[in-house]
Amino acid sequence: MAITGLGPHGERAVPADQIGLSDADADAARNRHFSVAVVLHTTMSDWAKQELAGIVATLGRYGAAVVEVIDCGFDVDRQIAELQRLVSEPVDAVISIPIGSARAADAHRAIAAAGKKLLLLDNAPTGMLPGKDYVSVISTDNFGLGQIGAELLAPHVAEGGKIGVLAYGVDFFATHEREIAFRKWIATHRPDLSLVRGKFADVSQAKAATAGLLQANPDLAGLFAVWDVPAAGAVAAIREAGKTVPVTTVDLGNDVAADLAAGGLIKGIAAQLPYDQGVAAGIATILGLIDRQPPPWIALPGLSVTSANVVEAYQLVWRAPAPTALLKARKARKSIS
Amino acid sequence: MDEASTAGDGQAAAPRRAAGRPRASESAHGSLAVLLNLVRGGVATTRQELEIQSELGRAVVTDRLATLLKLGLIEEGELGPALGGRAPRHVRFRPRMGIILAAVLDHSSLAVGVSDLTGRLLAEHHEAAELAAGPEPVVQRLATLFAWMLEEHGSEGGIWGIGLAVPGAVEKPDGQRLFAPALTAFQNWDGFPFIEQLATLVGAPVWVRSGVQTMTMGELKSGSGIGLTDMIFVKLGRSISAGVISEGALHRGAQGAAGLIGYTFTEGGTLETVAGSEALAREARQAAESDRSPYLASVLARSGEVTVTDAGHGAQLGDPFCIDLLGRCGRAVGEILAPLANLLNPSLIVLGGSVAETGDILLAAVREAVYRQSHPVVTRDLRIVRSQMGGSAGLVGAAQVVAEALFDAKFLQGWITLGSPREHPEFKDFLARAALDTGTRPAKPRPPGGTLA
Repeated sequence: MAITGLGPHGERAVPADQIGLSDADADAARNRHFSVAVVLHTTMSDWAKQELAGIVATLGRYGAAVVEVIDCGFDVDRQIAELQRLVSEPVDAVISIPIGSARAADAHRAIAAAGKKLLLLDNAPTGMLPGKDYVSVISTDNFGLGQIGAELLAPHVAEGGKIGVLAYGVDFFATHEREIAFRKWIATHRPDLSLVRGKFADVSQAKAATAGLLQANPDLAGLFAVWDVPAAGAVAAIREAGKTVPVTTVDLGNDVAADLAAGGLIKGIAAQLPYDQGVAAGIATILGLIDRQPPPWIALPGLSVTSANVVEAYQLVWRAPAPTALLKARKARKSIS
Repeated sequence: MDEASTAGDGQAAAPRRAAGRPRASESAHGSLAVLLNLVRGGVATTRQELEIQSELGRAVVTDRLATLLKLGLIEEGELGPALGGRAPRHVRFRPRMGIILAAVLDHSSLAVGVSDLTGRLLAEHHEAAELAAGPEPVVQRLATLFAWMLEEHGSEGGIWGIGLAVPGAVEKPDGQRLFAPALTAFQNWDGFPFIEQLATLVGAPVWVRSGVQTMTMGELKSGSGIGLTDMIFVKLGRSISAGVISEGALHRGAQGAAGLIGYTFTEGGTLETVAGSEALAREARQAAESDRSPYLASVLARSGEVTVTDAGHGAQLGDPFCIDLLGRCGRAVGEILAPLANLLNPSLIVLGGSVAETGDILLAAVREAVYRQSHPVVTRDLRIVRSQMGGSAGLVGAAQVVAEALFDAKFLQGWITLGSPREHPEFKDFLARAALDTGTRPAKPRPPGGTLA
């Protein structure tokens, strides 16, 4: 799949599989024994675990040690405090996923100002500049993820229907791009559909936000949730309301994958490849540390997942065999066809 | 803010008092405008300081401050130090009273942003777009994206102005038309009322500048040019042009077309046909097809196309053809820039655009050519750098153009008592003329403004 989105400053993406290290660069990095800290919004999710695995394995390959992994628990204040502490720690580089945009910017800037290399995952707070404030942003093509979400939802919505977007009410580049792309695809390819919007600031509110959206729009005929955890909340709200509204989302989490495989409300998923993203982040970090200037916007294409390829996609995304429920659903489908 | 923003097009914010002549600021409009700009620029932030700076009486200052507070344009802040008597209360400008929208159109992409009234960007979005397809879908797309941004970053006073950057030169308005020069950026846009439609859909005045001029303003406001008074910004993309800041002000030229250096002849053709991104991409593709560049051949095989970004990446990976291509390009650009440096004596030259983003090989070649052909005094402290703002420079600059225009003394007097620039009589006239114009044209039916998606 091509990368369709532009970077946070309009950069054309360099695909992650095009960046690499020469043997000489790799040797140079190994001789310098770099130390790297990783700051994540959470370390509990499957996405974060795979992302971290990719980072750690790659840095290990090039002689760099991951000396700290920080779980911010989705708390921007905690992230700011941890970054302020890292400024005076003996680490050469920090890989971080900024939580929110404006508030976290200064704390991230301080890392680069202290002479350390800063690599960003998914999000560049508005006003932060590559080269000056950070080395690269490494991200899935979020614009592309939103397009996939729309493409997979459209066939399940009858002409003239009303569909909803369950949006994240926090200033976050990745989820904004998904929403903008979803809307654009629908406006271009299905201008017959009308659009309404529900918003949540915290994933725990996703179910209530969906319930509110259903109450205000009893004729809702489809929903796109900007990632899988709120999508699971949305599915619960739709079921509670006794309705069958098709849903698409982003990220192949276990709950939504099982629902997709079982022929539930989830009709399609735009998946990221977090391990591959972690590998790219690791390579970009090494390139930055040896002053080889990796591109400012390194992106990975999204993966379109339906019930037909959910098992294979699961293996690709999570690098593990699919759970029994997914395999059973696949077997059942095979025997029907 | 700064002096330049209050001074606008040569309008003095606080005219000197002359005996026997009534002061412009004695009218309510005039004194409100003067006081607001003093507060906004941080020149005076207490009642006493405002009295001294504005030369207005205490009763007038007190009355006007009360009006500005009521209009929501300023707010009371903390107490200052007491100098005998009561401690003075500081007042400050409210940058979130309204918002500014910014848009940058280029041949293959568009960008939108939202900023506060100081021009500080709050959010931005860039996407690929085919602008050759015509103006109608573009104006609708901008209105849609603006509506979405407004939902995320709205303010109590709504949208106060739109800054628009377009490729190519933008002529200065002829005096009759305050906001809208005719847009000739794209051939098939001739005669289409783009600005009128955008202003009508969004309901706010639009200021237009060329892309390179807004990028120059952006670089001066929040890029490498912060605090400088003399710099040249060079956009190296599909087209090549320059923006000049001389003694702190943007030099636009007699018609607004200053900086079209891409038309200058160099060895092999005009600079644009030698060093523009399309020329480089064409050469890169030929090299890929004839196997002169193994790296570009592999890119072509994988993606079916070769861009200047690929050539830059190839150069960084050590591909000899890519290194040579970008070195030649940098020398051609540097040879055109050297006479400009000799003429203008800037302290900074910033290279931006997709060709500049290819990396240090091009930058080194530009430096070498400029340093070789310039007077030693000119190059003694001259820095030549790559822009780090990317596409954000144009958005920051477009917002900055509006932030300065809104509070330009003459324009400000037209709306300040009405509370919002949207109420400015000239803007109302502009909308009425636009409606009349659209009414008399055989227009296609359009969806209502501000629709989402």
